[in-house]
Amino acid sequence: MNPLTLEGVEFHYPATEAPALRDVSLAVAAGEIVALVGKVGAGASTLLLVAADLAPRITGGRLTGTVRRRARSGIVLPTPWTQLSGMAFTVWDEVAFGPANLGWPGREIARHVERALERLEIAALAERDPVTLSGGEVQRVILAGILAMDPDVVLLDEPTAELDPAGARALWRLVRVLAGEGKAIVVATSDLDAVPAVADRVAWLEQGAVRAMGAPDLLAEEATCEAGLGTTVAGVWRAAGLAAPYPLTVADAIQRWR
Amino acid sequence: MRTRHPFTLLTLAAALPTLAWLLPAPAGALGTAAVAFGLATAAGVRRVLVPAVVTAAPFWLFLFVLHDLPTTLAIGLRITTMVAGFVWLAAVLAPDRLVEAMVARGWSVTVAYVFAATLSAVPLFRARARRIVEAQRCRGLSPRGSVAKRLRALRALALPLLLSALHEVDERALALETRGLRSGARRTPLAPPPDPALERAARWALLLVCIAALVGRLV
Repeated sequence: MNPLTLEGVEFHYPATEAPALRDVSLAVAAGEIVALVGKVGAGASTLLLVAADLAPRITGGRLTGTVRRRARSGIVLPTPWTQLSGMAFTVWDEVAFGPANLGWPGREIARHVERALERLEIAALAERDPVTLSGGEVQRVILAGILAMDPDVVLLDEPTAELDPAGARALWRLVRVLAGEGKAIVVATSDLDAVPAVADRVAWLEQGAVRAMGAPDLLAEEATCEAGLGTTVAGVWRAAGLAAPYPLTVADAIQRWR
Repeated sequence: MRTRHPFTLLTLAAALPTLAWLLPAPAGALGTAAVAFGLATAAGVRRVLVPAVVTAAPFWLFLFVLHDLPTTLAIGLRITTMVAGFVWLAAVLAPDRLVEAMVARGWSVTVAYVFAATLSAVPLFRARARRIVEAQRCRGLSPRGSVAKRLRALRALALPLLLSALHEVDERALALETRGLRSGARRTPLAPPPDPALERAARWALLLVCIAALVGRLV
């Protein structure tokens, strides 16, 4: 049984005519990473809100179709500053905010918090006040807060937006590790060059609908490159007027060139 | 004072204005105002006492204009007690400790959060206003000069302040929801503040004093 399944989902935000999602069907298996790519406004963030049971329950609006969630999910929103609880004066307490709300015993909370801090490499920040952190640090604290709640489905909306390149690489490695532990992961990202090494499947969203879905090779196809959604290597290959199929990564390009 | 149990701080902050209005004026209100100013001074002259005096000053001005001296003194001292008590409470009561204390007593976490968020809203709002003023200055808006100029600057500050606050409320609701802050949730207190027997006794004593003052006032 897939932990997350969407079938024919259509969603309208309150007081809007045009749907934010149109006939979206997506099933995510345990241990699988699905990357959502698309232009701004394509519906990736909305899809994550629906998957997390926040839309329409919290956002309002109208949902049709079927959403089946067979496991607890955790979502990291794209704006880390607004996700701080405002009720914690240390990073440790901030990460523990979610597990404490779940009513877990203190010892279990401590175990999950320590593990999450280590995984995000922020154990050294444990005693810092969250409001004094940089954007990248806050992003990692928020992700740690979600992982400390031990969700089976992890939903990430632009998780590398505030991170430096090294932080982004570390995060993508962690995402693969989480999938290896059996968590189902859906990530909306504009870090297209990271997708081939991270994702098992890619869903290309356009105007709220899934235009194409498949292996990460999708990001080297003519249509995605034309839409500006190909990897950098594929885009350069195409711009140079070299023949399709375009290589997806630098390694692919080297192999092709030889 | 920050290390005292949050309920003790709340009880004290509630008892002072209650007694100010129940005890005979002006002596009773003078006493409560003195206590409130004493607490504000202990918490910090510049950080607490000065803001309390500045906030209370306009009330005195209006009272002098509208009433005779005895009435001005009676009402002014009472309002001063309320203002100084609230400013002192906002300065010494840590919202996270209040949440922990309320949760430890079995309160719903959402109720505790609303209570604590109200107390922590002022510094957050002030910080946001500072950021907007800086952003508007970068775009050439000067908050100094004539009254008309200042009014224009105020409009350029107020609108983004209000809109960004409303937008953040939406995002924060989503964020809190996803972190398990739901109605009816039974939160585990992480570090409930200690509540010594002496402080519990002091709270009951304050309550009894307030009841006695009420009875004394009625009979």
